[in-house]
Amino acid sequence: MNTNSLALPIHDDDLVYAPAILILSQDLYPRKLEVVREYIQNASDALDSFGEISHIIDDGTEPLIKISIQGRSLLVYDTGIGMDADDVAKLRRIAYSEKRVGKEAGYKGIGRLAGIAVADKLKISSTSYGDPKLHHFEFRAKEMRDEVDENKRKGIIESATEVIKRHTTLWSDEIDPKDHYTIVEIREIAESCSELLDPTALQEYIGDIAPVDFSPQFKWGAMLSEKLRQNVPDYSPKTIYLANRNGERARIYKPYIDQMLISQPGEIPITDPADPSRVIAFCWYATKGQKILGEIRPSGKIFAVDGKDFAVKKRFAGLVYKLFGFSVGDRSLPARTLWDKSEVRAKWFTGEIHIIDKGVLPTTDRSDFVENRARDVLYEAGKRVSSTLNKRAQQISDNRKAFSDTERLRQRFESTQQSLKDDKFDRSSLKRLKEEAAKNLEILRARQSKCTDDAIKDYLEKVSKFGKGISTELDSRKPNGKHPIPDISTTLGMTSKAKKVYDIIMQTLSVHFKNDADEYYSVSNEIVESLRRRY
Amino acid sequence: MLGERPAVFHTNENKDFLRDILDREAVRVWQQSVVKRKLKYLGLPAAEMLDVVSWEPFLSTFTTIEREENQQHLMFLRANVNDIEHRMKSLYGEFDDILISGRDRYGHSPDWPFDLINLDYFGGFIYSNLSRPRAIKKLIENQSNYRHGFLLIITQHLRDGDVIGAKATLVEDMRRSIKSLCVDQTLIESIDNVMDWFADATTPDIARQALYMNVFLKDKGEAEQFDVKCQPAIHYVGTGHSSMIHFITELRHRGDAAHRIASEQSLVDVVDLNVRTLDHGTLKSMFKRPQLRPA
Repeated sequence: MNTNSLALPIHDDDLVYAPAILILSQDLYPRKLEVVREYIQNASDALDSFGEISHIIDDGTEPLIKISIQGRSLLVYDTGIGMDADDVAKLRRIAYSEKRVGKEAGYKGIGRLAGIAVADKLKISSTSYGDPKLHHFEFRAKEMRDEVDENKRKGIIESATEVIKRHTTLWSDEIDPKDHYTIVEIREIAESCSELLDPTALQEYIGDIAPVDFSPQFKWGAMLSEKLRQNVPDYSPKTIYLANRNGERARIYKPYIDQMLISQPGEIPITDPADPSRVIAFCWYATKGQKILGEIRPSGKIFAVDGKDFAVKKRFAGLVYKLFGFSVGDRSLPARTLWDKSEVRAKWFTGEIHIIDKGVLPTTDRSDFVENRARDVLYEAGKRVSSTLNKRAQQISDNRKAFSDTERLRQRFESTQQSLKDDKFDRSSLKRLKEEAAKNLEILRARQSKCTDDAIKDYLEKVSKFGKGISTELDSRKPNGKHPIPDISTTLGMTSKAKKVYDIIMQTLSVHFKNDADEYYSVSNEIVESLRRRY
Repeated sequence: MLGERPAVFHTNENKDFLRDILDREAVRVWQQSVVKRKLKYLGLPAAEMLDVVSWEPFLSTFTTIEREENQQHLMFLRANVNDIEHRMKSLYGEFDDILISGRDRYGHSPDWPFDLINLDYFGGFIYSNLSRPRAIKKLIENQSNYRHGFLLIITQHLRDGDVIGAKATLVEDMRRSIKSLCVDQTLIESIDNVMDWFADATTPDIARQALYMNVFLKDKGEAEQFDVKCQPAIHYVGTGHSSMIHFITELRHRGDAAHRIASEQSLVDVVDLNVRTLDHGTLKSMFKRPQLRPA
């Protein structure tokens, strides 16, 4: 007889010692807001699971996730598939998960108890469609922490399962079998984790990391949403509401809005180098814009928004990886993994890289990807993003310089045109203006050769034509002689000796430049102006 | 521990009638004819929040007070299921303590003032420490600080803890008080008749409790410049065959008064209010009793 067949079933979590639960849960969430992500992720998966059967049972419940704050509790409610008695009982088993790798966002099974890292209690109530029971789960985390600390001092070591059983309670009530929902209450949140009770911080964080749609206040949103639906098979933005403290609630969207002045986005499909027909990720990107020629065009700067300090202003600079709509890592991760150099160019852009290949797996803390073949392929193929965006950044830079130079020189040509109209030229300024016009036309020619924006190019051509006209007119213009070199001896109160010196200098110059009258007037005029400034 | 508890949400026919017909109508009239905007609610709705759900069309935001953790959790669930969670602020602790101290167990305060206050109490009104009357007095003072009128609905258990004889004392105080105000000596006899009836041990305690509550509200309200209008108390059998008593009182603030005011509804009117009993959706007078004013 095989003795193993008689053994009691041993779960992995039986081998986890109680103190490890605390270490595991606390170290996983250095940023406390990440606890919310765990519950949104579970809620999102529950909505997807219910979505798979809702048409069969003809249930019209609106799929949504609602987040609210009450007292020192944070609540996450969803109208997803819910949990039955077995599912709720499994909450007692740490690191237990039946999530389907490649089908759902989370997969490690630790996140369901994430709340114990930040609060004294965790309460979960759930019912699934067809189940006449509402199941409740309560985890008295503080009570458990105190006991584990006490036992550590006494040298008592127990398995996590035993300890969790003692500090959790399960019970159920009767409920309408048609109901299906889950509510998580993270109760008595620690003072040190108060960002979890701050609606502004929550809204910003959830908008940034969760699978939500684009804001209706972002003019490119609908177009991008459509592109993502077409190119990312599991793209499924969720409706998430956050209750604020004034009796209203706001739907949470991605952070992009028109006020940020975002130029027209672009897209880059990322294909498997070994099989170019297989799209493994899809990137959309956009740059900071400025109003140029009546439209928002790329400005060629690090992507910045309004904010108090540098970090806040630059918080959307860079691309972010998305898996099942959830962010993986921060905006420095694509820069570090796809750019070999010129990482600063990565910050010119904002946008998302939606990963389609589900062989790419996030690490438990969602700060990076697990090292595997799929990840290596993604990083290699993703170089296309950096090369495309670096080229694009150069184009943007060239176009921006073309526009700013054209704008500056147009003003200069207009000023010259006004002087021509006023007929205020003497020989000295005429020569300078001719040289300046020629130089400026040369600058425009150089900018035109690199400009790829048709509208800016058109504008540049118009200004060049205008400048050429000014140049031609300057060539044909003769000095009017109304402003001979003045006798400044009286004005400056020169002594007779000084006046004699001044006359000698001017006569010498006149002789020296006898074949170049323009130059003579130019130099003598400079001398006069210098003396005026000095004396 | 894996257990099963009774049904989460329960009520009974009488409670449903009061909440969904009588009180709802009072709330509707208060909202549409008096306040003329949606009402800010403060109450003890229990996890079911049946009153909030029933009156929701007339309410803007609601502040709830719950003393039991699991009940509060269910209240959060109920609010979400009914899609009103964003309009709710839930305080945690004993109502009396929160009213008297001004804060719940997490240090949060009610956002005074309110337009509608519904106190569906566990237990009676009078206990030896008088914390409940002190809490109601504080509530009236808080409303007065904002010169803000409100509709007050109170439901409580008929069985109280009046070991100090507060109600009996009230009856004797009122006998003296009404007699002192009475200029027509021919009425003295009828005053004694009525007060003797209230004082008689065979008179059901509910009559004294109704008188006590209405006079209490009138007294404390007028002291805070409210014109107080009491309605006849309603007796009904609640869940678990408990005997309950229900009050609806209108308190309109007369902000221009410098001191205690006299309500349009006189003390004699209040004494003459008869208790009504609710039975299968029908209200009828509970007692044949002497009146100060002949019918």
